Amino acid sequence: MTTDTHQAITRIAEIIINELKLEDVTPETFDADLDLVDEIGIDSMDLATIALVLRDEYGIRIDEDDYPKLTTVRIIAEYITTKLAEKE
Amino acid sequence: MENAKDITEYKFSDIIASPSIKERFEKVRKYFFLRESTYDMSNRCNLRCEGCYYYAGETEKQFAEENLNPADWQQLMEAEKERGITFVVLAGAEPSYVPELCKTCYDTIPLGCIASNGLMPLAKEIDYRIHISVWGNDKTSLEIRKAKNMLVRQMENYQGDSRAIWVYTFTPVNIDQAREVTETLAANNHQITFNMFSAPTDYNGHLRHTPQTLAHTRAVMSELLAEFPETVVFSPYNIVAHTHEQGLHSLFSCSYPRMNPSTAIGLGRSFRQYRTDLQWDRAAACCVPDTDCDDCRHYAAGSAVVTARMYRHATTPQHFSAWLDYVDTYLAVWVKGYDKGENLCKEMIEPPEQS
Ligand code: SF4
Repeated sequence: MTTDTHQAITRIAEIIINELKLEDVTPETFDADLDLVDEIGIDSMDLATIALVLRDEYGIRIDEDDYPKLTTVRIIAEYITTKLAEKE
Repeated sequence: MENAKDITEYKFSDIIASPSIKERFEKVRKYFFLRESTYDMSNRCNLRCEGCYYYAGETEKQFAEENLNPADWQQLMEAEKERGITFVVLAGAEPSYVPELCKTCYDTIPLGCIASNGLMPLAKEIDYRIHISVWGNDKTSLEIRKAKNMLVRQMENYQGDSRAIWVYTFTPVNIDQAREVTETLAANNHQITFNMFSAPTDYNGHLRHTPQTLAHTRAVMSELLAEFPETVVFSPYNIVAHTHEQGLHSLFSCSYPRMNPSTAIGLGRSFRQYRTDLQWDRAAACCVPDTDCDDCRHYAAGSAVVTARMYRHATTPQHFSAWLDYVDTYLAVWVKGYDKGENLCKEMIEPPEQS
């Protein structure tokens, strides 16, 4: 895992914890492979909110059609890393 | 190569830095937990309205047998709750034929709404929102629905009842009658919201809208919203979304299972439309099955389809305000006790491009 991806994972976990007001978990202890829908209980509106915060942070568009693919924090981090690389 | 500045003029944090937008966003997001499914409670109706989608189409929902066993319904509701459904829409044909089943649903999932023609009152103990359908003045109702004095009878049944809201379905033949109905409801302290006739798949009758009738409807809705702000629960953006020449699917991409193959998240994952025999069919599942998707402007469809497109609207304060008005409107229409705020976007703006 690259440092960039690791940083992205921590930051995405932080955003999810903030937006969903999750308790008893920190960005460092958040399991990046948890299924966000099945195990965290995220819905499309939560994901849209998170996507907007990520759009602010990274300056990338998250295509609504891609929502179903964004199933874990790790996958979101990889998605962002790829999008950022495409921008360069 | 994409450039962040080309993608969006505003950051989301800039948009919600506006106190009125932030306050409204916090108000509506408390309801993001709502997850709906719909249930045909009865295959009987005391009316036969022209163009009724319940009796239309080839999915044969009208021929499904009625399961009248409260224990089976309770079991279904418990299973629905278990899989995360938090809001039920009880429809029909006419749900007021089976009040005991409606009560069973209410006892298990206390947030919901009943779509009724309002001719048989539902007991107060079923404390759901009640949507009472209106298709024009009483003369037109008699022609299209074969029922006399509908509005008077509906108002008698639901006088002083905070569960009730009237849903006026605009067809090409009743556009100007909306004023008379709105005035009557306003005089009796009732509320009204607007729906658009959306043609069933096999329907080619005179109720199908044309560009001219859509424009005419838009003008009348705007006048009534401006003149009866306490009575009409709607917003300029609701008007745009529902009277646009393009239907809801074309404008916003319908997220109901019937049009959305993904089962990963959102409506495609959770929404089901049960028939009276407690079966459901993913290929037919939307809130208005057998409606022609190209002509779909139905209020129930919009309440989910437009609402799901938050991301797309978070590009300018104006678009996000319009989206918030839309969501605020539909929470007021669907959730008992939710009060609509003042509309934030007074102009009729075009929906954003698809992302
Ligand atoms: S009829 Fe409307 S709500 Fe149903 S699938 Fe078609 S576009 Fe979606």
